[in-house]
Amino acid sequence: MLRYFKRQMMEKGVIFWASLLLIIGVLMLFSASKGVLVKESIFLKQCLWIIIATIAGAFIKKIDYRDFQRIAPPLYFIIIFLLVAVLFSWSSGGASRWIRLGVFNLQPSEFAKLITVITLAAYLAEKDIRRFPVLLVSLIIIGIPFLLVLKQPNLGTAFIFIVVFFAIIYQAGATKGQMISLFLIGIFSSPFMWFIMKPYQRERILTFINPMRDPLGKGYNLIQSIITIGSGGFFGKGFLRGTQTKLAFLPEYHTDFIFCAFAEEFGFIGVVVLLGIYFMFFKSIAEVIYYTRERFAKLLATGILVIFIAHVVINTGMTMGLFPVVGIPLPFISYGGSSLMVSLISVVLVANIKENTIMF
Amino acid sequence: MEGEKRLFINLTKVFFAVIILRCFYLQIIRYPYYRNLSYRNCIRTIDTGIPRGIIYDRNMRPLAQDAPALHLVFVPYDLENPDKEAEILSEIISMDRQEILRKFKKRYANPFDRVYIKRQLTKEEVSLIEENMPSLPGVFVQEGLIRNYILGRDTCHLLGYTGEISEEQLKLLKEKGYKPGDFIGQDGVEKIYDDYLRGIPGGIQVEVDALGHQRKVMGKKDSSPGNNIVLTVDQTIQEIVSEELGDRRGCIAVMDPRNGQILAMVSRPGFDANNIKEYLDREGHPFLNRAIKGMYSPGSVFKIITEITALETGAIEEYDRVECTGEIQVADRVFHCWKEEGHGWVDINLALPYSCNIFFGTIGMKVGVSKMLEFASMFGLGSPTGIDLPGEKQGYLPDKREIDPLNLSIGQGPILTTPLQLLSLISTVANGGNIWKPYIVKEIISPDGQKIKEFSPELKKFVYVSEETIDILKRGLKNVVMFGTGSRARIDKIEVAGKTGTVQRAAEELGLGTHGFFVCYAPADSPKIAMVVFLDSASSSEAAGIAGKALKRILIPELNDSTGTETEELENVEIF
Repeated sequence: MLRYFKRQMMEKGVIFWASLLLIIGVLMLFSASKGVLVKESIFLKQCLWIIIATIAGAFIKKIDYRDFQRIAPPLYFIIIFLLVAVLFSWSSGGASRWIRLGVFNLQPSEFAKLITVITLAAYLAEKDIRRFPVLLVSLIIIGIPFLLVLKQPNLGTAFIFIVVFFAIIYQAGATKGQMISLFLIGIFSSPFMWFIMKPYQRERILTFINPMRDPLGKGYNLIQSIITIGSGGFFGKGFLRGTQTKLAFLPEYHTDFIFCAFAEEFGFIGVVVLLGIYFMFFKSIAEVIYYTRERFAKLLATGILVIFIAHVVINTGMTMGLFPVVGIPLPFISYGGSSLMVSLISVVLVANIKENTIMF
Repeated sequence: MEGEKRLFINLTKVFFAVIILRCFYLQIIRYPYYRNLSYRNCIRTIDTGIPRGIIYDRNMRPLAQDAPALHLVFVPYDLENPDKEAEILSEIISMDRQEILRKFKKRYANPFDRVYIKRQLTKEEVSLIEENMPSLPGVFVQEGLIRNYILGRDTCHLLGYTGEISEEQLKLLKEKGYKPGDFIGQDGVEKIYDDYLRGIPGGIQVEVDALGHQRKVMGKKDSSPGNNIVLTVDQTIQEIVSEELGDRRGCIAVMDPRNGQILAMVSRPGFDANNIKEYLDREGHPFLNRAIKGMYSPGSVFKIITEITALETGAIEEYDRVECTGEIQVADRVFHCWKEEGHGWVDINLALPYSCNIFFGTIGMKVGVSKMLEFASMFGLGSPTGIDLPGEKQGYLPDKREIDPLNLSIGQGPILTTPLQLLSLISTVANGGNIWKPYIVKEIISPDGQKIKEFSPELKKFVYVSEETIDILKRGLKNVVMFGTGSRARIDKIEVAGKTGTVQRAAEELGLGTHGFFVCYAPADSPKIAMVVFLDSASSSEAAGIAGKALKRILIPELNDSTGTETEELENVEIF
C-alpha cells in the first residue's frame, strides 16, 4: 500500500507538483486578502494572472523547446533592452524594478533570469566550455544582465545569476580549475567593488548583510517575521486564522514574506509538507535532466532547476533570519504576475523537454 | 552520470534540512516565547524624529535650528476607550473632541505606529497628561524636535517652514524613504534645500507591556543631523529692514549689486512658522512672499528703461527739452502729469528727478513701444531672475499691440514686474551693466564642518549701455534723492541714488490707494548695496522714507541707537 502510494507520487510529473504549489499559493493569497493591508483585488488579480500564465503556457507547450535555441539571441537582446529601460524609467526620483503596462507592472528582472539561462544553454550546447574564449563569452552573456540587475539595485536577483552561472558551467563540463579560479576571482574582486562604491551604496550593502542596522525598515520585518513563524507552533493557528499577518505586522506578507503567513497558519507540519512538495517538484525536474540526451535540454533544465532551488532556499531562509533580507519571491506562492508567468513558462519548458525525450 | 543528477538534489536536501531544523527551533522549542509575543502584539516602533541642519546667516549666526520638544502621540492598537480618552484629551490640550476622535478612529495601515495628535506641548499640558496617564492607555508624550526660527516672523518667507508631508508629496517621495507624518520643508529655503537639510531619521524598536509602556529595547538606530546651510543674508540687515517696514503691508529686499547676494528679504504680512494653521485663512495673503511672488506694474521705476532706450537709440540728446504744461493731448485722449500745474520746460536731467510724465510720455512716443520692450527684456524684466527660492514669478511683458507708448513709458498698463526684478534692474544700473543672478544660499556644510557645496556669484549677462547714458542716468538717480521725488531717502554723509514709482491700481475708482515703489543703491559713486521697497496702499515717498532710514542704519551703524557691538558685527558684512 505504502509502496504503491510512493510509486504513484514518483510518477507524477513536474506539472502535477507545480499545480499543487499553485493551489497552495492561491489559498495563501486568499487568506492574506482577509487582512487589513491586502485587498481582495490582489487575490483576484493573482487568479487572473494564473489564467493568463496558463494560456501562455499552453501556447509555449506547442512550441518545440529546441526552437528556443534559435530564438535565444533576439530574446536576450529584448530583455537587455528592457533592463536598460527600467534603469532609465525614473519613477518619482528613484530607480524602479518595474515597467508599467496599463494595470499591470512588468518586472523584467524576473524574465531576465529565464532568458539568460536559455541563452547560455543555447550557446554552451554547441561549444566546449573548457576553451577559454567560450568561458569568456559565457561570462559576458551572464555579466550584462547581472550588472544591470545589480544597478537597480536588486541584489537578490543578481546573486541568483551567479549561482545559476556556476550550475550551468558545471553541468556543461567546466573543469575544476575553471570553477575554482572563477570563484576566487569573484571573492577577490568584491573588495575592489567596495572601494569604488559610493557611501550610500555601501550603507545599502551593510544593511543587506546586517538588517539590524536598520531596525525600523528591513530589521523590523525580520523581527516580526521570526515572531510570526515561531508563533505558528507545531500545528499552526489554522487556515485564515493567522493573527500576525492579518494585522499588518509584516508589510510584505503577500509577496516576499508569504512563507511566514504559511508557517503561521499551518505550523511546523505545514512547513515540512510544503518543503516536501517542493522537493518532489525539484526531483521531477532532476529526472528530466538525467534522462534527456540532448545537451541544450540538459543545460536548460539545469538552469531552471537551480533558479527554483535558489528561490525557495533564499526566500524561506531570509524569512527566518538565515539569509539577508532580499527581494526574492517564493515561486508559485508569492503574489506577483511576472514571477508567476516565468515560473509557469519554466515548468512548461521542462515538461516539453520530457515529452520530446525518448524514455528508455 | 548518476553523480551529476544527484548533486543539486543533495544540495537541496542539505538546505532543506537546515530550514526544517530552524523551523523546529522557532516553532517548537521557542514556541511559547513567540506565541506570547504574537499574542500580545507587543513590538512597537518609536520614531525619534528627523533632525534638520542649521540655517546660518552669512556670519554664521543661526537663523533656524532644531530644538527639543515634547509631542503628544498615540498608538491606534493600544487605545482602549477612544471616546473617553478623546474627551479627557480635548480638555487638556484644547483641541476639538471630534477632531481627536477622528484621528483615533481612522483606519491605519499599521495600527502599531505612533500617530501625532499635537506637537509641541506646553509644560502644563505635559504634567496634566502625565497625571491622567492611567486613564489614557495608548496615549504617550514623546520626545521629539521642533524647528526654532530665531527671527520668527521676520524670516518666515525667506526660510519658509516645515510641515507634515502631504499625501501628494508622499506619493512622489515614498521611494526616497519618506513616511507619513514626516516633516519636510514646505516653502523658502527649507523647501528648496530640503534634500540637504533633512537628516537621517532615527528610531527605536521596543517590547511593550499591556499598557503599551516600554519594557525592553530590541533595536535602535541613531538619527543623524542633516547638512547646515549658510545664507548670503545678513541677520542685522534683515532685522533692520524688518523693523523699518514695521507692520505695513509690503516688502523690502536688499542685494549686493556687485555679486547678486541677497542680504535681506522681508515681506508683510507674515506668519508664525511654528503655528501655520492659525494663518491659513487670514486675510492679506500672509504666505505670499511679495518680493518674488507679488506682481505689480513698475510705475515710474520703468522710466529708467525709457531713459536708457531714448538715450541709447539716439532719440534724444541730453539737453533736449520738452514743455510740461501738466497735460498733453494725444489723438482724442488727454494725458496728465502727476503735477497738475506742470513742470515747465524740462530736459532729461530734471525730468527724472521730478518724474515728469509728460517728458517721458513724449520721448516714449518718439522711441516707440517695441524698442522700450526690447530694452526692458534685455534688463531681465518679464523673465524670472532665477533666485534659489520656490515659486518665483516671472512678471509680464505685454505684446507691443497690447500697450501704448504713453502708458508704457511711465510703467503703467498691462506690464507686471516683481520687486526682485526691479531690485535686479537697479543693481544692474548701479554696477554698470552686469546682471547677476540673485542668490540666497552661499554654502552647504556637512555636520562635521566640511564644505559640501559652495555657490559663487553667477553673471547672467552683461548689458552693454554706453558710458554717457549710464552717467546721465546715474546723475539723474542721484538727483531724485537730492531734490526730487525721492528726497525722503536722503541721508547725511552718504549719497543715495534711487527712483520712486507710484503705481495706479486698476481699482483706483473703488477708493484703493496707490502702491509705492522705491528702488535705490548707495553709496551713489561706488554702490555696495541695492534695495527695493514696496508698499501696498502707500505713497512712493513713504517708501523712499523707509529706504532712507534703513540705509542709514545699515551704512552708518554708529548713528544707530544701539551700542557699539553692532558696529563691530557690521564690519563683517563686507559692505565697506
